[in-house]
Amino acid sequence: MQILNSILGYAADEPFDSALHDLSHAGKVEYLTISPEDTSRRRMKVITNKGTECAIALNRDQQLSDGAVLNISADRAIVVRLAQQKWLLLEAQNHAAALEVGYFIGNLHWKVEFEGERLKVALQGPLQTYLDRLELLIKAGKIRTLTEDD
Amino acid sequence: MNDTGLRLQASGGLQKSAARIGIGGPVGSGKTALIECLIPDLVSRGIEVAVVTNDLVTKEDAKRLQNSGLISPDRVLPVEAGACPHTIIREDPSLNIAAADKLNSSFPELDVIFIESGGDNLASTFSLDLVDYWMFVIDTGAGDDIPRKKGPGIIRSDLLVVNKIDIGPYVGANVDLIKQEAVEVRNHRPTLLTDCKRKIGIDLLVEQLIQDVLFTDV
Repeated sequence: MQILNSILGYAADEPFDSALHDLSHAGKVEYLTISPEDTSRRRMKVITNKGTECAIALNRDQQLSDGAVLNISADRAIVVRLAQQKWLLLEAQNHAAALEVGYFIGNLHWKVEFEGERLKVALQGPLQTYLDRLELLIKAGKIRTLTEDD
Repeated sequence: MNDTGLRLQASGGLQKSAARIGIGGPVGSGKTALIECLIPDLVSRGIEVAVVTNDLVTKEDAKRLQNSGLISPDRVLPVEAGACPHTIIREDPSLNIAAADKLNSSFPELDVIFIESGGDNLASTFSLDLVDYWMFVIDTGAGDDIPRKKGPGIIRSDLLVVNKIDIGPYVGANVDLIKQEAVEVRNHRPTLLTDCKRKIGIDLLVEQLIQDVLFTDV
């Protein structure tokens, strides 16, 4: 188990940028993919894309973000890669339905963003779990789900 | 690595920064009893412990732990929610963060701070700004349909603890069914069974915490 207890710097900044460039040519850069929600954790167990088991244990004043360099040596570098947030897009049939779905989602404490007339729900678990909760509103035609391409 | 005098350094050993572990669940599910079981087991392994308790309008849980003889009373800090407890572990956890920070600065040797909060049935969850890891405690006395109800505490917690497995048979609750359905709805994320009266499952729980978040075995 590789212990990672400090953010040493960021991949885009020198001197890390040049060092990581050199290490990457030798296939010595490993990435830890972290979900947006998990960036708030200071401690967690994760596995790099090359299978290295890691235990992250940061001080409270440090927070994970994309490009954070957690380990670097002549043999290996370990860099955080932020996973893309997945969203469920919803569109309400009318104002009354919008109020109803807003109230409903508020009660469920889901994280949302507004995009014009669409409501974006941040997926922090399986999509089906969210669709199950919304089933009655969808079946009643009060809301419809959209894809990112709609 | 090139030799340009770069002050790059590899990560070394584990720094002393206490893990923060949330313990949530319905009132009466046995969270405080669980902490009373965890403390001596952790201490026997050389792990330094402190606790933040959350009560609605009293310091009941804090007093119970402070009077337990299991932990120095000044390592237990009460927070009075004054309202729905979930609001101060999720929406605005600043009171709890301040309490944990205070314990951390008073006792820099700490390995773990437990933050206990009850209430809100199956819906309470912890802000990850407050804790690194959180467990949700249910008890068999509440019935064997609890996992099927899929509350956020059941689904999203890092670890589900099914407590009071000793009383399940007396209330017609099928403990095996609870375990099976909990594992299913949680997509095989950790679920453990405990009985605090007979100290069953406590060692497994401690080992799970060490493996997932304390890392004292590394």
